[in-house]
Amino acid sequence: MKHAARLALALALLLPLGFGSAQRALEDLKIAFLYVGPVGDYGFSYAHDLGRQALVERFPGLETTFVESVPEAEVEPFVDQLIADGHNVIIGTSFGFGDGLLAAAERYPDVIFGHATGIERAPNVFTFMADFWQVYYLNGLVAGALSETGTIGYVAAFPIPEVKRHINAFAIGAREVDPDAVVEVRWLYAWFDPAGAQEATQALMSEGADVFAFTEDTPTVIQVAATRGFPSFSHYASMLPFSPETVASGQLVNWEAILIDVVEKILDGTYTADNLADVDYFWGLGEGSVEAGAEPGMLINPVYEAQLRAEVLDHPEFGEISVYELVERRLEQMSTLPPEFEPFTGPLRDRQGNLVYADGVSATIDELLGMEWAAENVRGPWDGEP
Amino acid sequence: MDIDVLVVATIARALAFATPLLWAALGEVIAERSGVVNLGVEGMMALGAVTGFAVAFTTGDVWWGLAAAGLAGMLGSLLHAFVAITLRADAYVSGLSLTMLGLGLSALIGRAWVGRPLPDPMRTIDVPWLRELPLLGPMLFQGQYVLTYAALLAAVVAWAMLFHTRGGLVLRSVGENPTAVDAAGLHVRPVRYAAVLIGGLLAGIGGGYLSLAYRPSWGEGMVNGLGWIALALAIFAMWHPLRVIVAGLLFGACFTLAFRLQTVFPPELLTMLPYVFTVLALVFTAWRRGRLAFGAPEALGRAYLRGER
Repeated sequence: MKHAARLALALALLLPLGFGSAQRALEDLKIAFLYVGPVGDYGFSYAHDLGRQALVERFPGLETTFVESVPEAEVEPFVDQLIADGHNVIIGTSFGFGDGLLAAAERYPDVIFGHATGIERAPNVFTFMADFWQVYYLNGLVAGALSETGTIGYVAAFPIPEVKRHINAFAIGAREVDPDAVVEVRWLYAWFDPAGAQEATQALMSEGADVFAFTEDTPTVIQVAATRGFPSFSHYASMLPFSPETVASGQLVNWEAILIDVVEKILDGTYTADNLADVDYFWGLGEGSVEAGAEPGMLINPVYEAQLRAEVLDHPEFGEISVYELVERRLEQMSTLPPEFEPFTGPLRDRQGNLVYADGVSATIDELLGMEWAAENVRGPWDGEP
Repeated sequence: MDIDVLVVATIARALAFATPLLWAALGEVIAERSGVVNLGVEGMMALGAVTGFAVAFTTGDVWWGLAAAGLAGMLGSLLHAFVAITLRADAYVSGLSLTMLGLGLSALIGRAWVGRPLPDPMRTIDVPWLRELPLLGPMLFQGQYVLTYAALLAAVVAWAMLFHTRGGLVLRSVGENPTAVDAAGLHVRPVRYAAVLIGGLLAGIGGGYLSLAYRPSWGEGMVNGLGWIALALAIFAMWHPLRVIVAGLLFGACFTLAFRLQTVFPPELLTMLPYVFTVLALVFTAWRRGRLAFGAPEALGRAYLRGER
């Protein structure tokens, strides 16, 4: 018995050495999150905070804190304060935090920095993104089938590659189901603008749109579309409670999938403050960082199931198939690693008629990240169109 | 889109969008006519929105919610009145503080209500008979909220009270020349208190419209600058309740057209227009200084202390 205890003690002492000195204990980690908006926005920052909470649930005892509504240009002083308070992992969740985080990272070479939606890295700065492009494509399939007018409304935030990629994926999905479907886009030039979302949706309804998707941080579009009984899609968080009868599907995020992977790799010593320059998460359905559904677990609202099962296509890949099954099949194909299907696969033309991808050619991740062109059936203004 | 459809839809949506602006701007006109600037409109609207939502959610009755919204705005303005009128502190600083306080407090109160839909929100109405009118029906009498018509009515009532009653005369005199009013044996402070409290009440109702009708839910920051637009509106209307209606419709039309004409016209220009109008109005009032119909109240923003000139 005594021997056994000694052996265990010796092993316990030796074990950390065996894995190298980079391994870290959970108690040593102190993670701070910087949010660009209030956690009460029920949108982007809210979703990030759900990710943080799920992370703590996965690693009980992990110390985390968050600061909300951090002005993008003033991120550095916040970082200084958080590091002075003993935090050694800083996660910023807005694209606009980039410059400040990189500058701070240079001053604090021992601290690990994570930048959500960011593009620039450093030895102690990794970037991560849970991206919706595959999910928007699935929602596009649903939208194409549900629209009676053939005009689908899209209330968009900013004309940047991320949003353009999502609109295009959505439009490509709609076109696969209904070759005549068009996606009418109106821009808010804001991430958060409930009044703008209200009036943009009203404007799109005047244009004949009868199905609605959006990139904005409130459930406004869903509520406005519901006044006329028009279907719409959840964005970021489940917005089903705001209109249980009309939210058809949606894009949901699970930031914790990435955060848990990061923390595991910091704990086992894979990630240190010296080797993150190539760590860039661009995760989708396969890694479980995003989900398609009106709410978690509800891929398609049962209200629309019969209609989507009755809509049968002659599909070039699957033959005769209902839209409902098509969504399920495509979801399966995109849920593998690597995905068996990429929505941005040729032949694809932009709306000016140029061939973007030849038959069988798919977009690379870099091309997805820098997307500026507009899909063939997209209508409305498009800043920075090539 | 046909031009008549565009005009009808633009005016209909301009009305819906302008409704909270009308309420808040009317309140500000009344407060400023008594000589007290209140930059706390954004904060009072946020307090009204969150309180209205919480009460409507709890009681299941939007009208109780609306009453609570007005009361919350009024309570906010009471703070401003105390600081700016009784303590005679700088009204601009006090108003700004009220905005920040209102935004922070509403976020705190609102935590429990984020992401929860209102089970029984305010319903839109079609005005019987009038809704059948060609053009005017869809333009003015379909799918609006009662609060929109109430706002128009409130503007007319405010105009009648301000310009055609003795009380209104006293209120305006307090804003123009409090010393004279005081010398005439009337009390300045109670009048100013009343004006500021009415302003808070109306701003709170404007906030309630947002969370109970226009977008029936609560989200932090949902007022999103409408309070500041209302302040600009009060100036652009040159402190006149009836001009508030016209100015509000113009602001609303700019806002909704920014989305309707996006395909042919840069939206930034349209969303900027209300502020351009406001600057022009300021230039105009400066140019016509001294002519009562267009000018700012003479004593605007100045605390009154008896015996001080």
